Parts: sequence; C-alpha cells; structure tokens
Amino acid sequence: MLTPRAPRPGNGKLAGTSMEQVLANGIYLGAQYAMIALGLTLIFALMNVLNFAHGQMYVIGGFVTYTIYGQLGLPYIVALLASCVTLAVLGALIERFLFAPVIKGSSREESTMLLAAGIAFLLDALILLIFGEKQRGVPKIVNGVLNWDFRVIMPYDRILICALAILSIIAFISFMHYSKTGRALRALAQDRTAAQLMGVDVDRYSTIGFALGAMLAGLVGGLLVTITGVNLGMGGPTSVKAFMMVMIGGAGVISGAIAGGFILGFMEAIGLAVLSQYGDITYLVIFVSLMIFLAIRPQGLMGKPWG
Amino acid sequence: MKSAVVATALLALQSTTALAENPVLKVGFVGVTSGPAAAWGISNQRSMETRAAWINETGGYKIGDTTYDIEIVSFDDQKDPKRSIAGMEKMAQEGIHYVVGPNTDDGAEAVRPVAEANGIMYFPYAFSKSLYTPPASNAVLAMVANYQSGPAIYKYLMENKGVKTVAFVAANESDPLSQRDTGVEAAKALGLEVVSDNVTYQPDTTDFTPVLTPVIRQQPDLLVLSGVSPAHAPQLIRSARELGYQGLISTETAQDAQVLREGSGDLANGFISVGGASTPELASDMMKEFVDRYVKMFGEYNDESNTKVYALEYILATLAANPKAINDVEEFKKTMDTFEAPNPFMKGDAKLTYVGMTSFGQKRQIAVPLVVNTFENGEFKTLFVATVD
Amino acid sequence: MNGLTSKQLIGFSIFLLAIFVGVPMAISATGRWDFYFTLTSVALLAIASAGVWLTFYIGRINIGQGAFALIGAYVSAILVAKAGISFWISLPVAGIFAALVSVLIGLPILRLRGVYFAMITLVLTQVVTLTALALPITNGAKGITSIPLPGGISLFGLQILPPFDSMADTKLAFYILACILMVLTYLALWRLVHSRLGHICRSMQQNEELASSIGINIAYIRIIIFAISSFFGGIGGALFGSISQSVYPSSFQVQDSVNFMLNCFLGGLGYVFGPMLGTLTLYFGWDLLFTLGKYQLLVYSVLLILVIRFLPNGLLSLRLGNIGKGGGK
Repeated sequence: MLTPRAPRPGNGKLAGTSMEQVLANGIYLGAQYAMIALGLTLIFALMNVLNFAHGQMYVIGGFVTYTIYGQLGLPYIVALLASCVTLAVLGALIERFLFAPVIKGSSREESTMLLAAGIAFLLDALILLIFGEKQRGVPKIVNGVLNWDFRVIMPYDRILICALAILSIIAFISFMHYSKTGRALRALAQDRTAAQLMGVDVDRYSTIGFALGAMLAGLVGGLLVTITGVNLGMGGPTSVKAFMMVMIGGAGVISGAIAGGFILGFMEAIGLAVLSQYGDITYLVIFVSLMIFLAIRPQGLMGKPWG
Repeated sequence: MKSAVVATALLALQSTTALAENPVLKVGFVGVTSGPAAAWGISNQRSMETRAAWINETGGYKIGDTTYDIEIVSFDDQKDPKRSIAGMEKMAQEGIHYVVGPNTDDGAEAVRPVAEANGIMYFPYAFSKSLYTPPASNAVLAMVANYQSGPAIYKYLMENKGVKTVAFVAANESDPLSQRDTGVEAAKALGLEVVSDNVTYQPDTTDFTPVLTPVIRQQPDLLVLSGVSPAHAPQLIRSARELGYQGLISTETAQDAQVLREGSGDLANGFISVGGASTPELASDMMKEFVDRYVKMFGEYNDESNTKVYALEYILATLAANPKAINDVEEFKKTMDTFEAPNPFMKGDAKLTYVGMTSFGQKRQIAVPLVVNTFENGEFKTLFVATVD
Repeated sequence: MNGLTSKQLIGFSIFLLAIFVGVPMAISATGRWDFYFTLTSVALLAIASAGVWLTFYIGRINIGQGAFALIGAYVSAILVAKAGISFWISLPVAGIFAALVSVLIGLPILRLRGVYFAMITLVLTQVVTLTALALPITNGAKGITSIPLPGGISLFGLQILPPFDSMADTKLAFYILACILMVLTYLALWRLVHSRLGHICRSMQQNEELASSIGINIAYIRIIIFAISSFFGGIGGALFGSISQSVYPSSFQVQDSVNFMLNCFLGGLGYVFGPMLGTLTLYFGWDLLFTLGKYQLLVYSVLLILVIRFLPNGLLSLRLGNIGKGGGK
C-alpha cells in the first residue's frame, strides 16, 4: 500500500499538484487558521487561560450566521455582524461571571483549564439543543471558480473569504496598535502588574479582551460557514488545531499566532500534495515534525520562554 | 436555569411513564447522541422513539397474548467504547434483552462480552465481520454493509455508465479505513482499475481541496467516499466538483438530502448513496406516516432514518413470531433462521427476513432493501433496488 | 513522615473495607449489577489519572496519558492475542513498555513547560492514535478483537487464581482486580509523595532553577517521574483492553487524555487522592445522569462549572489538610 503509483499517462499538466496550487491552498488554509489562532492567543496572553471552548465559540458563530443568513434570508453582512456581537457578549459574560472569580479563588492558575473544559461541554450541549445535530450550510455568497490553466483552481467564494480573513487580521493588528483599548490590552498582556500600576483598569480590560477573543472566533465561524458549513462536532477538533498553531508561533504572541496559522496551513497543503501517495501517514508526519520542532524550540517561533 | 432544565426533564420522564397502562416492553439503544458523530445516533434514537410513540398511541404491540407498550431506553456512549460497555451494562440492569447500536466498530466489539454474558441481542451499525461470524452470535447487523452494497453499486455503474477506473478517499479513522479496504478489494475483484486508494483526510478537516487535488488529477470515472460521514459528504462533493471533476461520486453510507442540499446544492446532482425506503417510488403509506410523525415529534426528518427505522420493527416482529423470545435470546436466535414477515415500509411484496449467510455463514443481518439512490435537484431518486443474501 | 498516623490508618482501613466489602454488599443488596463495570472503569481510569497527577506534581500539565494507555492496551493485546502470553505477564510488560516509550519521548519534551508541554503531550496522543492506525502489528483500522480473558495463575502446580472465563462472575473479578491495582497505585503514589523524591518534586514544582542550583539532577528526576506516570497509564490501558476484549486506535484518544487531566483538577491537585475522587465524580456522575436523556450533557456541564466556580481548588479543598478518602460509595 505504501508504493507510490506512477501518474496516469496522458495530460502532463494533470500529473501532480502544481506548485501554484499548493501555494494557493496554503494561503487559504493559513488565513483561516491564523484567524482562529488569533482569538485564542489573545485570551491566553491576557489571562493565561487556555480556552478549551474556543472551537465551540467558532461553531456558535457559524450557526448564528447560518440562522440569520441561511434561514431568515437577511444580508450576509448582517449575519456576520450578529455572529460577532453574539460571541462578544457571550465572551464578556463568561469572563465576568466565571473566569474572573475562578482565577481569583484558585491557588493554581491551571485550574481554569477545568473551567474552560466545562464551558466547552456546556456550549456543546447548548449547540445540540438549539441548533440540532445535522451538518448545516448556507447558500454560496459568490458563484464561480477561478481556473488558471489548471495550475490554480480556486472558487471565487474562497478567494473572497480568504481576502476578508486577511483584512480582518490587518484590522485587528491595527486596532491593537493604534487604539487606546488596544494599547491597554497590549500593556496588560505584557505585564499585568505593571499595567495595573500604570492605571489600566485590569478587570475591565480583561473582560474586553476576552470578548474580543471570542468575537474573533465568532467572526471566523461566520466567514467559514459559507464554505465548509458547520456542525456541532467541529468545536473540539478546532480548539486542538488552534492550540497547535499557537504553540508553533509562540503562546500569547499575536504575530506568533499568525505565523503559526500560516505554517500549519502550508504544512497541510504541502504535506497533502507531497505525501498523497502515502495517504495514511500524512498527518502522522505533520504531527511528528511538529513535536520535533517544539522539542528543539520549546517556546515556539517567537514566544516568551515558558509561556 | 439548571433547575428549570431538571424540571422539564423530570416532566418529560413522567409524561412517558404516565401513559403506561399496558405492561411495558423496554428496548434499548446504546449509541452516540452527542459530539461530532451525534447525527448517527440521534437519527437512530429518534426513529425508535417515533415508532414507539406511534405504537403506544395506537394501543400497543401484541406479542403472544399480551399487548405491550414500547419504551425506548437510550444511553449516550459519546462514541467511546468504554462508555458503550457501561451502556450495555445499564441495559442488562434494566432487564433489557434487545438493544439497537452501537454505531461504530470499536463500540460494537467492546460490548460483545457484556451482551453475551447477559443474554442480550444487539443490532449494531458496524461492519466488522467478526461481530457476526461464529463463534459470535449475539450481534445482528442492522443495515447493509459496504462490502455488500459496494459491489452492487460498482457493478451497476460498470454496466450502465461504463465506469472503468475508480478512486477511494476515506477519513483517517477505523471505520472508514476498514470500509475503504473492503471497497478496494471488491472493486478489484470486479475488474475495476483502482487509480488511487491511499488518500485520507483527518476527521477535523475543514478544507478538502488539498485532499482531493491529487485524487482528481488521476481522473477516475468513479470517486468513492468510503464511510463518509454526513457532515463531510457535501464538502467533499463540492470540492471535487469545484476542482473540475466530471465523473461519478458515490458512497455506501446513508446520507441526508437536506444536508446535501444546503452543503453542495446542485453540485451534488448525480451523487449516489445508499438509502432505505423513503423515496416516493418505494415508500409505503406506513413509511410516509412514519416520516410525518417523526417530523411532528422532532421538527425535521433525517433521511438516515430510512435505514434506521428497521431495527426496532425487526425486534418486535420477531418477538411476535415467537413470544418465548421475549426473555430468552436463544429462542430469538432459533426464530431468526425461519422468520419472515411482510415489510410494512415498502410498497409491493418485500419481506422482512434475516440474511447474511454469504457474508457471515449465519443469519445475523436484517434484510433491509438495498436501495441505491441518486441525488437530483434536492431530492433522492431510486437508482436501483437490490437484495442481500 | 513516612509512617501513618493512627487516624490515617483507620481512614485507610475504612476505605479498603468500603471498596472490597461495602461495595459488593451494597451492589448485591440493591441489585445494581451494572455499577460493577462503572466502578471498575473508575478504578482503572483512576490508575491512569494518578500518573497524570504525578506529572502535575513536578509542574507539568500532562495531556498525553491517553497515548500511554493506548500503548499499554496494545502491548497487552498483542502479547495475549497474538503471542499467546499470559495476561498476568502482559500487564506489567505493558506498563514497562509504556514507561520505556515515555523515557524516549520524555528526554526531549520534558524540557518544555507550561502550555507548551501540555500541547506537545496532546499532539502525542494523536501521534499514537495515528501510528496505531498505520502499523501492521496493531491490525491498523481493524483493531485487535476477541482477546481471551485473563487465564489462571498457578504456582508449583497449585492454582492460586482460576481462569476468568471459568468464573461465574467476571464482573466481580475484574472489579476486585482493578481495585487492588488502584489501591497499590495510590499507596505507591502516597509513599512517593512522602519520600525524599516527593520533597524534591515539590521543590521542582515551585522553582526548577532553584532546585537545580542546589545540586538536584532535575532532568533525571523528571524522566523518572514521567516514566512512573506512563507506567500507570499503560497498566490502566492494558486492563481496559482485557475487559472489553478488544482494542482499537480509538480506545483512548484526545478526549481521554483531556479527561485524565480534568479528573486531577476536579479532585484537587494538592491531594494524593484527588484524582481518584475526581475520576469517580466525573465518570460516575455521567452515568448517574443517564436518565436525563438529551439534557444529560447540559446538566453534567452545568454541575461541573458550578463545582469549579465555587471550589476552584478541587473537591478535596472542602476538607483542607486531610488526606481525603476518595472512592467507594
């Protein structure tokens, strides 16, 4: 089963995945992954919480967009905004009433992992009860496929979503750099005590930061539901993938999350193209190389050591 | 909020038990009703509950001289074999002898010792042959296995659509991989050229374009999605079509029309899958009423239930044929060899019988009509009907 | 410090009495035979959780115990089903093999800390699952099925233990076996925590650099602890394979690794018996809520959140300073 098979004779162009296609797939995957990782790393940077419920938040974002755009037939942009608002409110509530008191009362801050996992279970249960068990999808937002001489094949809606994702990432970075809130959040992420001494309202900005992180999850859920659809089972695996990206780039570092997202995206795109003959082990190779990379560089690409 | 939930749950429990005037016959379900694969188990559980409510509403089910109300006892195993065992133990505790599920190979294998020790017949939706081949004797395959439907589909497509080459894609998990391997064997035995059989994807894949690109470049006449979950099917179809794939796409698992409609729209036209008996050409009035009642109870039908409606019906009909089996599965096993009853869900003179001699050497499979569907403009249409022996 | 106080001794005796006499009596009185399997699962999952707790003890969040449980399950299954070796030999071999693998993997990854170690162990669980799917010796996707039940033990022609398949009640046999192993595990854990090694671990948990500066070979200690932890994982996994008589790549996966870790958090990281109580609560709790039907997960998660909200240091923090008596019912 492990012997590579010679490509079928005939059209030479069709022999393998072209370099351009791998690049396009990598960028598309990377952009979506980076967005998922951003929210997670933001929450981690601010509160040292590894949010196991991040994937579930992403799923809720997808379902909100599905309900408003797919079911009620309102414009897509309205649905996307609704996803963002829903998740921002949900995130703020979770931080204010659950994480903040638990962090204060806990002797080891890792205990928040149990809380995060409990919230993940809760959101899973709510998603099942509210939105049902089926895979859901929405009408395509743009039709048609870009086919550049069979070297790059990419449907237009993917290109659009990819562009939107990259724009959102840029907007987020600008927000963090140039707005007052963003600067306060960065100060908080760098050194909580120092930020407090400088007069930053730590409690308030923690809530805002958590809401922002959750909002990013909702946004990417709303964007991706147009392509991949959504179902209640996507939450857990999405969280795990997001963890990996965050680790590759370095925990709690914004640029690291983006780098991690793109690296994982490209690893998958390249791995699937190069190792397709060995199908069964493609992901084994990806995971093992990830472990080796982390063993060599324990703090990821640009993380603070011992995150 | 919590107390409200508990209150409604208790209320729900009371309302189901309050009905019981007849003696109650409990039938179990152990399967996955939460998490990523929830759709499989939920369509099972809801089919059973719909049918049970219907029976109870119309006065109960007559077995021997007694008329029973049917109660479904469900256990969510979260697709974890450890929990499946706990669930089967729970069934034994409830004095249940007939259980539908589990939904996966690992769960079905794990509960085998418990089922055999406690005298439980169980009806898994798992294809592992060792479950049904002697010395195993308590499991009854509750659907058509892919190594039975696959060859029928491939043969039909070779003869009618001129298919010569085939490619397989599967998720990197036990059940789909096993199904792919048996599918490849079957295709080779029929003389098809298998051009790609080792591309797999992780169950958490969100973008199938890079997965399918190398497969599509081989230009197979037929692309088989082995053991594909209903969540992945529309995305795989969409990616394949967007990559410019023109050939046929098929799977040997049951799918849901609504999910395909939403997830891939017209791109899914021509997609071939295995269904039960709910296409308009085949469904009897009873099947139509079942669908109506299901929709009334749960809001939305799931086409996977077309195959999942059968297990409970088989259990009850076999018990009616031999009332002694109600507490004795050995009696049930004896009856299985000769059992025959009309199939209430299908038009015409289709029969409920136990089959499986060819695949397992003993009758450990329920005869579900092998209905091969094709998806056309949002609906399933019957492509052909075959039987399993 | 090594000796038991009389109070602890009494507590321990009550605990033994409860699980070996009390539970069987309660079960035969109430007729809830299904609890045997649930409590057996609790016992063997508590063994694996004990290992995770031990890695917490040196300041590492371990989300990789599922990997070692799976390794243990496969080693035992292969030895028993393919090589025909007695289960009783395969059990320690499974633990030792898991420990050896953990030494090889631990050498590079134990340098990592915090979330990085947590993540790499999480990835490890996936690596082992995927390896089990790809290797021929594990039967790949088909899994290993129809594993024989444990045979008997005889010493000098004298039968000490009859084969399990000749017993009238294998459920009880597995329950007793799992409980004995669990008690041994926690005794070992308790002994270790109260030894010099335990003292060193505590200092490492607080500050590795400091521990290193006073001449402790922390790399060596870390490996030893991780190996012991994985040994427990391997034993727990092997026992489960024997009960279900089958092993699949999905027998232990990421969710199990996460659950092992949650058991420790829930019971309380500061208490040796925390993981046992945590496992009992999380696993048994799910079973008890089964009558709630589709609201099971909702109620379960809400209760979980309430517990952590009001007892953020674990269930055992209710009775600070005591050794806590988990388990039993």
